[in-house]
Order: sequence, then structure tokens, then C-alpha cells
Amino acid sequence: MRVLVVEDNPVLLRSLADSLREESFAVDTAEDGEEGVEKATSVAYDAIVLDVMLPKLDGWGVLARLRPGIRTPVLMLTARDAVPDRVRGLDCGADDYLTKPFNLDELLARLRALVRRTTGQTRSLIEVGDMKIDTAARRVFLAGVDVPLTAREYVLLEYLALHRGETVSRTALYEHLFDENDDSLSNLLDVHVSNLRRKLGRDLIATRRGHGYCIE
Amino acid sequence: MRTFFHSIRWRVQAWHGAILLTVILGFCLTSHRLAWNNQLRSVDRSLAQTERTLIRGLMQAAEAHGEPGPGFSPRRLADKLRSNPEVFPSALGAIFQGREPGFAYFSLRDADNRPLLQSPNVPEDVAVPLHTPPEFAEEARTVSGRREIVHRTPDGLVSIIGMDLGPERREMRRFAWSLVALGGGVWLVGLLGGWWLAGRAIQPVADISRTASRIAEGNLEERIVPDGTNSELDQLSRVLNATFDRLHAALERQKQFTADASHELRTPVTILLSETQRILKRDRTPEEYRAVIQTCQATAQRMRQLTEALLLLARQDRGAGELRREPCDLAAILRTTAAQLQPLADARGIQLRLELETALCMGDPTALSILTTNLVGNAVEHHDRAGGVVVVGCGVHEGQVRLAVSDDGPGIPAADLPHVFDRFYRVDSARSGGSGHVGLGLAIAKAIATNHGGDIVAENLPGRGCRFSVQLPARSPSARASS
Repeated sequence: MRVLVVEDNPVLLRSLADSLREESFAVDTAEDGEEGVEKATSVAYDAIVLDVMLPKLDGWGVLARLRPGIRTPVLMLTARDAVPDRVRGLDCGADDYLTKPFNLDELLARLRALVRRTTGQTRSLIEVGDMKIDTAARRVFLAGVDVPLTAREYVLLEYLALHRGETVSRTALYEHLFDENDDSLSNLLDVHVSNLRRKLGRDLIATRRGHGYCIE
Repeated sequence: MRTFFHSIRWRVQAWHGAILLTVILGFCLTSHRLAWNNQLRSVDRSLAQTERTLIRGLMQAAEAHGEPGPGFSPRRLADKLRSNPEVFPSALGAIFQGREPGFAYFSLRDADNRPLLQSPNVPEDVAVPLHTPPEFAEEARTVSGRREIVHRTPDGLVSIIGMDLGPERREMRRFAWSLVALGGGVWLVGLLGGWWLAGRAIQPVADISRTASRIAEGNLEERIVPDGTNSELDQLSRVLNATFDRLHAALERQKQFTADASHELRTPVTILLSETQRILKRDRTPEEYRAVIQTCQATAQRMRQLTEALLLLARQDRGAGELRREPCDLAAILRTTAAQLQPLADARGIQLRLELETALCMGDPTALSILTTNLVGNAVEHHDRAGGVVVVGCGVHEGQVRLAVSDDGPGIPAADLPHVFDRFYRVDSARSGGSGHVGLGLAIAKAIATNHGGDIVAENLPGRGCRFSVQLPARSPSARASS
């Protein structure tokens, strides 16, 4: 999952980005509203974490520029917790709202829920045949047995499972699984896929030559 | 009902009613008295006429019986008439008879109230007045519903000729009743008019009061609509509106400040929570722990600065009343400030140049030292290059203590210049945790200057740099004498 975090406090921005990366999100950052709009319109993020009080262009302004063209789910972060502020945020096109100070686990859960909802999933548990993916705990079970996966393998599997039935292009995978600072080479994707096949079964991930990968 | 009787309308009405009643009563009594006097005058005239008729009749009767002879006197005439009643002319008898209302009578008496000659219808209580008028003089009097004219002849004879006032009194009663009816009517109409007028005059007050109570209930946007007549109430409306404007603005500022303060405090708390929660999720290397603890420490330092600044500001916001006032020399305070900030200036490669003259003023030395520290520190920190100069000067000019801090730094962007003293306003827009200032330093400086009865202005210098100037009232000679 690739997430954009727009927050003007550099310490908080770094802390948020680190936290999300540790949860295997690919994270891009922006320090002001204009940079946020620029990045949000050029990359197809899975979610955007948006602070309200931003220099140059505030959170409302960013939302107004994004909607309705960009449909990426937006989670607003703000110190203003009055009901009118929250209502305004949701009415402006935000998908969720979290007031500072927030609990990190809650932020992560809300982000997962946002991504899940936009892909049409309703539960945090994804089942493919006898394989279960627990997106909350980020663990994979094959016939009830815990299968250890690396972080990269996990996000790849989760992304394909969330878009089950669709053929996901390599470009899309790069866009959603790696952030702007990653310099992973393209053949690494093939390595991760073959590792997943080895651990979870040959037939789980189908290769569509020239198109990409797919979980049926 | 209590409030009703205490209402201005009711009191205006009561006074109006009382005054109107007094005027009407005075008017009615005066006209009644005038009319009565008129009646009496006409009665007197008619009595005089009757008297002449009587005298002429009596004289003619006496002449018919051989009088007047030598030694004629009214007494002899009276004796004659009494001894010969048939001499009394019947024409006169027709006038002085009966007791119907308005009857006339006469009585000739000696000084001892003994009747010599009188008409048969003389009332029993007719008497010669105790103080008879002087000779030939005439006295008119009103006695128990009758009008009498009393004459005294030189030989001691007293003539009383009178008339019953029955018809006149009846007429006067009718007149009095019509006066009462008219006066009462005028009074009622006056009362109604007064009530309406008072209501009309009070109406704007009721409007103002309704609007004011709506505003008090929290609808701070609402204003009284002035009627534009420039009347007293219109002026009151304007004054109230201006007061509401100021209150509203103050409340909005307070709201904004609270929101900003809460935002500023929430951000570091968020950092602390986020960092500690992240680091505790799994085991880390000592370097990672150290990094997070350093972040937390820096954040906590920032929170400390923020709370100290908020506390300072709150203290200044309590107003000038809390301020300690003692004579102090701004030059000495600036010298201390410069010494304290010298290490910071050295670290940034900034030269601090002092141009200080003795500047005595009354003030709180602690607050003034915060003001100077904030101004000088601000100039040093915002200077963009090493080798820059910050000039700190003070002195007395035209009865004002002046303090100026100028630099040859980048200056203040024109768009930010009007806002530099706003709370939480930061020219660089970075709410950075690292730079150390929280956007309250200049706001605190302004609050201190204002509380000292002074002013502070920021301006860009031509070419390069900017200047912050503070004006404070100088310590007056009288204050010097008393201290």
C-alpha cells in the first residue's frame, strides 16, 4: 500500500512516515499543501493522510483541489476537534477524520479500513481458497498453518489479494508497493513472486505475460 | 405587576396624569371663580338699580304726602312711612315680596339693629353688620345665600337691600358640573394620549432590550438597528453596537487564541505519543532508542517553551493592573539583555552593537527585560547571514523613552508585516519543532509595551533589514519627586 503523508511539522512527519513504513506501507511525504496536491495528482496513492493546518495551502484547500478528480481515500488529521470542523472535513470530501493527539494503532487501523473499503473488502480477513490473510496482524495462514513471509512478500500478496480477479500490472505494483525513495530493481518483483509461489503454492499467483500478475 | 408599576412608561404616565390634573383643576377653579364674580357683579348692579328704584319710590311717596319739608332726613322719612303704611307705594311692594328664589328685600335699621322700615319678606337673620361702612360708603356682602348691599346714612340709619342668590347659585352649579365634565374629558384624552406617547417613546428601548438579550444569549452577530434619527436612543443604539462589536472581536480573538494554543500543544503531544508507541512495538537497537528519546526531549523542551510563553502572555493579558511599577533604566536592562544574548549572537556570527543612553521609565523590570530579550533575540535569530549587525539603541526623545532594535537582515515580507505581532504568527510559516520559537515572542513584547502605556511598531528599513521600535512614557519629574 502506498500512502502520502502531508504534515508541516517535520518531526511529526518523520515519526508518522517511520511508523507507517514499519507497518510495510510505502510512504511518500509532503510538507505543505501545494507539494501535497502535486504528489497526490501525479501518483495513484492508496490513501492520503492530510493535516489541516498547512502552510501555503491548508487541508481544506488540498481537498478542494483533489476532489472530485482524484478519488484516493483521504484521512484528515487535525488539532481541531469541534463538531463543525469534523463535519466540514467530511463534507469537503474527506473519508475519515482523526484528531491530534491520536493513537498510532488507531491511525493504522483506520488507514487499513480506508484501503479495504476502496477495494470493496468488508473484513480485515481475506480468504483465497484455503489461504487466509489477516490484514490487521499482517499474517498469512495456509490450511491453518502460519506461513512466515518477509515484509515485501506480504505487501505484494496483500495487494494482489485485495485486487483479486484483476490483472495487476508490474507498473501498478511498483507504484503501490514502493515509495519515492525505494530503488528496488524490477527483477526483485519476480524474486518476491517466486518466493510467494514456493511458500504458498505454485498456482496461487498466475502470470499474464506482458500484462502482470493475478490471483484468481 | 410589580414590574409594570415600576416601568418607565407607567411612571411617565403617572406624572403626566398628575400634572395634567393639576392644570385642569387650576383652570376649572379659576374659570368658576371668574364666572361667580361676574354673577355677583351683575347682581350688585341689579341691586343698585333696585335700591335706586326703592329710594325714588319712597321719595315720590313722601312728596305726595307733603314732604320734603324742611329738616328732611331719611330717618324722618322712615318714621313717616312706618306710621302710615298706606303711603308705601304698591309698585314697590310688588318688587319686595315673596320668598321665591331670587326674591328681593330691603330693611332700614338704626345702628342698634332695630328695624325702622322693611319689606315683609326680610329673612329673619338679616342684621346690621358689626362694622358698618363709613358714611355714604357702600358695602356689598354675601350672607347665607343672599347678596346684600349695606349703606349708612349720616344720621346713623343703615339700609340693607338684598337679593336671594338661588338662581345664580343654581346656574353656577350647572356651570361647575359642565366644567367637571369638560375637565374630566380633557384629562382622559390627555391620559390616553400620554399613554400612547410614552409607549411610542419607550418602544425603541424595548427593541434595544430585546436585541441585547438575544445577543446576551449568544447570538453575537446580531446588532441593534439604529433608526437613523440621531435621537438619544439612536445614539444609545450606536454606543451599544460599538460595545458589542468590541466584545465580539475580543471574544473571537480569545477563541482563535485558544484554538491556536490547543493546536500548538496538541502537535508536540502527538509527536510524543506517536514516537513512543512506534518505538515500543518491537525491540530496537540502542541507537534507535536514543534517537527517539532525543526527539521526545526536544519536543518536551518545546512544550516547556510554549507553556512558559502562554503563561507570560496570560499574565500580560490580565492587564496593567498587575504590573509592578518601579523606576528603571532601559539602558541597564538592554545591557544585561545584550550580555545574555551575546553567546547566541557569537554562534550565529552576528555583531551586537549597543547605542545606549540613559532612559528612565516607570515599569516592571522583569517584563521589560522579557520585551528586550524577545526583540533582540528575534533580530539575531532571523538574521540570514554571518557578519550581520544588530543595532540596539535607547534614549529619551520628546518626553518618550524610545528603544529601537534594527538589523541588516532579510527584512519582513510585506504581506507578513501587519501580522508580526499576531499570536502564533510565524513569518517563515514553518511550525518546526526545531527552530525553538513558538510564534509568541513578538506578541508578548507587544502586550508588555501596551501594558506599560507604550506602543511597538515594526518596519522594513530602506534597502535591507528591519527595525522594531518601542515607545514608552518617560518617568515624569513628579514621579521622581515622589519616589
